[in-house]
Amino acid sequence: MRPVYIHSVVCLDQTDPSFGTLLSPMEARRMGRLLKRALWCATRALEEAACPMPDAIVTATDYGCIANSEAFLGALKAGDIPRPTHFMQSTHNTIGSLLAIRLGCHGYNATYSHRGASWRSALADAWMQIALGDVETALVGWFDEATPALQEMDPAVTDRAVAVVLSSSPEGAKGLLENPLTCERLIGEP
Amino acid sequence: MQERIVITGCGVVSALGVGWKAQAEALRAGRSGVAPVRYLETALRDLPVGEVPLSNAQLEALTGAPAGWPRTSLLALAALQEALNQAHLPSTTEGDTLPGAFARTGSRSDAEGRVSPEGRLCAEAFARTGSRSDAEGRALPSGVALVSGTTVGGMDLTEKTFPRYSPWHGCGASTDLPAAFLGVFDWATTLSTACSSAANAFIFAANLLRSGQYSCVVAGGSESLSDYHLNGFNSLMILDREPCRPFDATRAGLNLGEGAAYLVLETESAARARGARILAVLSGWGNACDAFHQTASSENGEGAYLAMNQALTRAGLAPEAIGYVNAHGTGTPNNDASESAALRRVFGEALPPVSSTKPFTGHTTSASGSIEAAFCLLALQEGFLPPQLHYHTPDPACIVPCQGAEGVALRHILCNAFGFGGNDSSLLFSAL
Repeated sequence: MRPVYIHSVVCLDQTDPSFGTLLSPMEARRMGRLLKRALWCATRALEEAACPMPDAIVTATDYGCIANSEAFLGALKAGDIPRPTHFMQSTHNTIGSLLAIRLGCHGYNATYSHRGASWRSALADAWMQIALGDVETALVGWFDEATPALQEMDPAVTDRAVAVVLSSSPEGAKGLLENPLTCERLIGEP
Repeated sequence: MQERIVITGCGVVSALGVGWKAQAEALRAGRSGVAPVRYLETALRDLPVGEVPLSNAQLEALTGAPAGWPRTSLLALAALQEALNQAHLPSTTEGDTLPGAFARTGSRSDAEGRVSPEGRLCAEAFARTGSRSDAEGRALPSGVALVSGTTVGGMDLTEKTFPRYSPWHGCGASTDLPAAFLGVFDWATTLSTACSSAANAFIFAANLLRSGQYSCVVAGGSESLSDYHLNGFNSLMILDREPCRPFDATRAGLNLGEGAAYLVLETESAARARGARILAVLSGWGNACDAFHQTASSENGEGAYLAMNQALTRAGLAPEAIGYVNAHGTGTPNNDASESAALRRVFGEALPPVSSTKPFTGHTTSASGSIEAAFCLLALQEGFLPPQLHYHTPDPACIVPCQGAEGVALRHILCNAFGFGGNDSSLLFSAL
C-alpha cells in the first residue's frame, strides 16, 4: 500500500463566486447552483494541484441534486407535465458525470450518497485505489444543496462544495491523507 | 499473486420472484415477469413493468420487517436474508441484540419524524469497532461491511408526502434500515451512479477486501419502482408501451423493473478459513466514464469498451476466454447500438453468446448490476445461457443475441451495467 498525498483542498462557503470565467451565459442558465459551485471548486482544485486530467473522479453527495428533484416532484403533484431536464439532472451522479464530461475524463467515476457517510466513503474509494496502485491521481468532491423542505427533515444538510486532489506523488504535496475509514476527522470537514 | 476475491452467498428478488431458485426456473423456462402495473401507485398504467410479485405488506410478512419502510429497503432485506443464509453468516433479527452502531439508526428520528445525521454515528461506530490493527499498528474496522447501490432510496414514500420528505428519503437511509435490522454489519455505505450503482458496489467492495480493510463485504443493490422515476423515464420518451426488445430492429425503449440482489464477497483465505462454500470468483472489473452526454451513450461505446477491456485485463484473460456476456441491453435504440459497437470493438468477429435479461425483469436500474450478476452466477453454476426474449428482427447496428442453451460449461462471464452520465461498469465472474 502506497502513501496517498493531498495536493489541493478548495471549499466554498454560502457565498457564490463569479462563474463568469467558467461558463458561458447560456451554460450558466442551464446549470443549477449546485452544479455551478461543484464545477467551480473542482476546476480550482485541479488548477491548484497542477493536475489537468485526474485518473479518477469520486463524488460524495449526501442528498444529490435536490432542487431538481423538488421541481420534478412539484410538477407531478400539481398535475403539470414534468420536465425531462429536471429528472435528468436529479440523479445523484449528475455532478460526477458533469465533471467528467467537462474534462473529457474517461477514467474511474463513482458517486456515494449515504448522508453523513458519503464523504468518508468517497475519500476511502480514492485513497484505496491510489494506495493499491490502480490510479495515480483522483479528484474527490463533496457537494450538496439545502432546501427548506429538506432541512425540515434533516437539519444537518447544508450548501456545501469541497474538492480535493489526491495523488501518489509526494512532490508539491500539502500533506498525507490518512486512511479515511479509520481516521477521526476527515479533510474538508467543517 | 493477488489473493482471489470469492463469492460465498447470493440473494436475489426480482419480477421473477423471491430467491435464487425462482430466478433460475423462470430464466430456463423463458417466463418473463414483465406485466401491467399491479402495486405501484401511478397514473401511468399503460406501461408494462417488472414488479416484484409481492405487496409491501407481503414483503413485511416475508422478511419480518416493521411497517413503514421504503420498498427499496424491503426488497434489500429479502435479498440480504437469502445471501447471508446461503453464506452461513450469522445475523440477528431481534431488535434488542443489534450492535450499538446500528441499533440507533433504525429509530433516530424525533417526534416530527426528522432524522439526525449519521456522520457522527459512523465515526462512533468505527471508534468502537477499531479493535483490529494492520502491520503499522493502525486500527482497522472489524466485522462485515454492507455496500449497497440505489438511486430511488425512499422516494416511493416522499412522493406521497411531498413537500414533506420521508425520514427515509435518502439513499443511505434506505440502506441503513435493513443493515440495522440484520445486525451483522458494522459499517454501511451507498453508491448512487444510476443504473450502474450495484455494479460499482462490487468494485468498492473488492477494494475494501484487497486493501485489507475487511475480509468480508456484502455488496449489491436495491431499487423499487416509484411514480417519480417512472414519470422521469417517461418524460425522456425512452419507455416502450410493449414488452422491451433489446437489440431488435423494432426496439422502442425499455420497461422499468425493480428488485434487489446482494453477493457475499470474501478474500479466498477468509472464506476457506471458515469453511464457506465458494460459488464463484470475482476475477475482474472495470469502471470507465463515457464522458459524452448526461443521458445518451456515445456512438462508438467508448465507456463500455473501456470498462469491458479493464475487466479482462484485471482478470488476465483474452476476449476468447469469455463464454457469455450478460449485456446491459435496455432496449433503447441508443444504448443497444452503442453497447453493440463496444462489444464488436472488444470481441471482433469472435463474439461470445450475448443476451440481455431485461425482457425477463424489466430494467431494474440501480439494482440491475447485482440482479444480473446473480443471473451470471446461476448460469455459471447450473450451466445454461439465459435466452434473449422477444428478439425477432436483426438490426445491422446491433449484435445478434443468443437464444439460450442448456448444458453449457461456462468458465468466465462478463456482466455489463451502464448508467446515466456514462457511468459504465463491467464485472467478470469466473468458475472456481
